[in-house]
Amino acid sequence: MIVPSGCPHEVASLVLHGAVIPKFLDLNVFEKIKDISGIELVSPFLVTQLPNHERGRVDIVYGMEMSHLKKIKPAWQIEGLIPEKDDAVIIGSEIASHDNIKIGDTIFYNKKPFKVSAILQKTGSQDDAFIYMPIKALQEIMKKPDRVTAIGVKVYNPQLLTEITEDLSMKIPGIQVVTMGQVIDSLASLASSAKILSLSIAVIVILISAMGVMNSILIAIFERTQEIGMMRAIGASKFDIFRIIIKETVMLTFAGGALGIILSIIGSGITEGFVRSFMSYVPSGRMIAFEPWLAGLCILLSLLVGILSGLYPAWKASRINPIEAIKG
Amino acid sequence: MIELKDITKIFMRGSEKVNALKDINLNIQQGEFISVTGPSGSGKTTLLHIIGCLDKPTKGVLKIDGIEVENMPESELVNIRRQKIGFVFQQFYLIPGLNVYENVTLPLLFNRRPKNKNDIVSLLELVGLKERIHHNPNQLSGGEMQRVAIARALVNDPEILLADEPTGNLDTENSEKIFDLLKSLHKRGLTVIMITHNPDLASRAQKTIKLKDGKIYT
Repeated sequence: MIVPSGCPHEVASLVLHGAVIPKFLDLNVFEKIKDISGIELVSPFLVTQLPNHERGRVDIVYGMEMSHLKKIKPAWQIEGLIPEKDDAVIIGSEIASHDNIKIGDTIFYNKKPFKVSAILQKTGSQDDAFIYMPIKALQEIMKKPDRVTAIGVKVYNPQLLTEITEDLSMKIPGIQVVTMGQVIDSLASLASSAKILSLSIAVIVILISAMGVMNSILIAIFERTQEIGMMRAIGASKFDIFRIIIKETVMLTFAGGALGIILSIIGSGITEGFVRSFMSYVPSGRMIAFEPWLAGLCILLSLLVGILSGLYPAWKASRINPIEAIKG
Repeated sequence: MIELKDITKIFMRGSEKVNALKDINLNIQQGEFISVTGPSGSGKTTLLHIIGCLDKPTKGVLKIDGIEVENMPESELVNIRRQKIGFVFQQFYLIPGLNVYENVTLPLLFNRRPKNKNDIVSLLELVGLKERIHHNPNQLSGGEMQRVAIARALVNDPEILLADEPTGNLDTENSEKIFDLLKSLHKRGLTVIMITHNPDLASRAQKTIKLKDGKIYT
């Protein structure tokens, strides 16, 4: 994949969710690429978001060379006919089922009618959520003739990939060559970064809440010093006091955990609605599901947080001198 | 039953050495009703805490039922407190979130003894609070709260009841009622040691110990 030079993550996001890169390549670059030896196929892409007024949302539209389709996407199962002229489109299966579009229907972009000539069968990837339009038609709509977002390059011999990549980068200025391997690596690193980030946030939140719990239990102990002194006088051992405080802390965090799970079940719908409102496309069906094992794990974690954050207050409470305490 | 021999208690208040008790010698027989009087700071409460195994003397010997307890570790002292001693305080110290029944049964929890509802009901009947069993402390008068505290002190069936100014927060009428209750418990064979500032109540006990500057002076 060749894109305008810039952030390598742009390519990953292009593959991931059809991001619109605000830079374009000239078609003369296209000619130069063709001149490099070892290249089997050069195919341009133009990706953009177009408003779909009829359905009141924005579609991600891929402009591509329809004659190259079979070579670029050999695994695609297409029902219908690949557009030969510039007045037809292929639509992804998710969009077709979501909007109940059938072959032969017409959709409009910029008041221009496009006949749905084929439906891409479910691939299970993001491809299901896009509209595929002949690149010339999309360039016309965008009023950007001879401009492309990316150029797909297929080589004869994948073993020569490194050499060809270097050759391309050296001979053609202003471009960035990204292999599919790099895209996959980039996607994997994006996903793991997101995971690490969310895990770090969760750890910080747990630490803060544990400190909060510890603090409130310490305050409660301070307020109940006389009560603890009385308990010691009427027969409670140091360990009894320790046990009571740990038990209270665990009850508090257990209640917090259970309440959190209930709120997350109630709130999942709201979160999902929120996510759907700002994403142009999200897969059909529920995005957030209730996992009993995860809920159980959260409860266990809240019990553990209770025990750990109760240790210090419980130790402190068990060391209260009953004589000093009941003296007031 | 309770024998104090040369009991001395010294503690530090900042850099100052306070001689709270000085060579106290005292013998208390089972079933006695003793009042302890004296001005503030004379060592009354310290004496009560030492007899109640809540505090340890700096010097001297304390025997309860013939067993020397002054050098016992805390774990054994807890057992003596659970089995032989009941404490009553001036401020009652009832737990606000628990009702009368739950407050009274609290020591059973620490003593790992099962609750027998009939026993608790008859105990509350003894202190005159049978009808208040499900009430919360904030629904009770001062006198009633102190009676709950006395019931709590009796729930483990102790031999000795230690009361630190049990009428200190009560009016005359309620003070009389509490004193009468202590007297009736004494008649049932309980050893009662009561600190009081009320000379009238003190004089009505079987025996009065007067403390001044950590010493018995009568």
